[in-house]
Amino acid sequence: MHMAKPIITAKNLFAGYNEENILDDVSIDIFENEITVILGVSGCGKTTLLKNLIGLMKPSSGSIEVLDHDIVYIDEGEYNQLMRRIGVLFQGGALLNSIPISHNVAIPLEQHTDLPDYIIDEIVRLKLSLVGLGHAYDYLPAHLSGGMRKRAALARAIALDPAVLFADEPTAGLDPVTASSLDNLLLSLREQLGMTLIIVTHELSSIRRVADKIIYLDKGKVLFSGKLDEALESDIPELQKFFTV
Amino acid sequence: MNDRTIQLPDKVNIDTIPGIYDRIKGMVRRSSDSERITIDFGEVNHIDSAGVVALEKVQRDAGDKGVEIIFENISPMVEKTMQSFSSKLIESPPKKSRPHILEYLGEYTYKYWVTFRDFILLLANISYFGFVSFFHPKLRRKGEVIRQSNFIGVTALPIIVLVNFLIGLVLALQVGIQMRPFGAEIFVAQLIGFAMIAELGPLLTAIMLAGRSGSSIAAEIGAMNVSEEIDALRSMGIDPVPYLIVPKLYAILITMPLLVAIATFFGIFGGAVIGYSVFQIEFTVFYNEVVFILRYYEIMTALVKSIVFATIIIVVASYYGLHVEEGAEGVGRATTRSVVVAIFLVIVADSLLGLLFYL
Repeated sequence: MHMAKPIITAKNLFAGYNEENILDDVSIDIFENEITVILGVSGCGKTTLLKNLIGLMKPSSGSIEVLDHDIVYIDEGEYNQLMRRIGVLFQGGALLNSIPISHNVAIPLEQHTDLPDYIIDEIVRLKLSLVGLGHAYDYLPAHLSGGMRKRAALARAIALDPAVLFADEPTAGLDPVTASSLDNLLLSLREQLGMTLIIVTHELSSIRRVADKIIYLDKGKVLFSGKLDEALESDIPELQKFFTV
Repeated sequence: MNDRTIQLPDKVNIDTIPGIYDRIKGMVRRSSDSERITIDFGEVNHIDSAGVVALEKVQRDAGDKGVEIIFENISPMVEKTMQSFSSKLIESPPKKSRPHILEYLGEYTYKYWVTFRDFILLLANISYFGFVSFFHPKLRRKGEVIRQSNFIGVTALPIIVLVNFLIGLVLALQVGIQMRPFGAEIFVAQLIGFAMIAELGPLLTAIMLAGRSGSSIAAEIGAMNVSEEIDALRSMGIDPVPYLIVPKLYAILITMPLLVAIATFFGIFGGAVIGYSVFQIEFTVFYNEVVFILRYYEIMTALVKSIVFATIIIVVASYYGLHVEEGAEGVGRATTRSVVVAIFLVIVADSLLGLLFYL
């Protein structure tokens, strides 16, 4: 039982598309410095939940609090300030294709800080080096492999040393070796930056490697929320099936 | 040796570091050689990567100036963060040697030669399959000629009619005004007739089609190329030239002469409207004057031009579509290039054909 106050809380969340609710009364708590993995089969509402937590989608009812901000009724200025403390790693990387990866990483630093350009450049080089892409400073996203693109997107997501990092399927479509190195990178970034990570995935090997806590969604409902060990030993049939496939 | 101290606040992060950095930098500027500045970390509880990078940078820059910066009273936790974000971890990108001007020249010459060679090869390929596919319809995508004829011809008709009508209108007005002092307004009909049939009809139609259909074809083939659809066709043993491009060639070869004929008619009609309303030239008189100047030679000129321009539009659009690089961004670039190059080549071809037919 956690005594600390959660840094992200969603209560009685209903959300979806075209008046059809995908999330059905979802309530979750996420605590500081933990790696929480949201998992479930395709179409269960993982990405919808993530988009709601980031504020990219508004729920039809319920409340979401992120780092002490009510993200459902937040105004734009406050939201932009809040997003300085949040990093998002999108499924496809979502890098701006027309500019080199170094510029991609520099965008949040240029927009949200008063740092001089040469310090920003130094931070960009550091962040690219941390994800193992120091040599690819001038490369356009199109010149990178899928794994490299995800790492470049990760460098952009951690440019401002966010308190919370959301990652949507960070290892999907990657080979096992690259996936494992990306997982290790996330673990070391948590260690170095003291970040809280919320990862959406259904890659079993990734879940076993990184998860502290599991939130299992089934048809838009939270079927299980607890520690990884508890999830592995759970007698919930859906969860058992998920881990034994 | 003078020793000055700067006390850091409890948080050295992205918000506080610009002020701290400027303060230290100002102190370094005012310091002389072999002076020492002490940065006291005693109160620092939190430091982030921006803080580490900026402090290390100012320390290095001061060192270059002969001023020593010493970090003191660093707690183990802050020390660990400083090691995690130390600039020693920065991987330098491989150094690129600056190529000699002759290398540049050689590279660009080679690049243009390759473009020219590939363009000619594609033209040959399209011409070959354009002929062969006529006798082997199976090589082509089913129903594509009709679909493309509708897209290239029918849907483009309103804008082409309107543009040519307006050009005929304006041209007749401007020419007529110049001729009025000489009482030669009647020659407006001959001039408009000749200009629209031999020159403006085919040229304006080609420019409109290059912008409208050429860009769309380049984008369509480019997007297929980026999403590996072209590779998928090749892997199934299907040549993309007869399957994708030849139906578009047939469609434009069928529709372009028809569009040119309709465009020319409306261009002349625009001239006739001005002739009637401004210069009091009866429609029948205008018609007779146009027929008087009109020879089969001019009609053949227009026909040859429309076939040449149509081929240019298809080959250029297909070339840029098939040579897209760098994803979605590349598709946009290829589309723009295809329009610019197609219009340029259409004007060059128009000039050469003009010289050929009328010199």
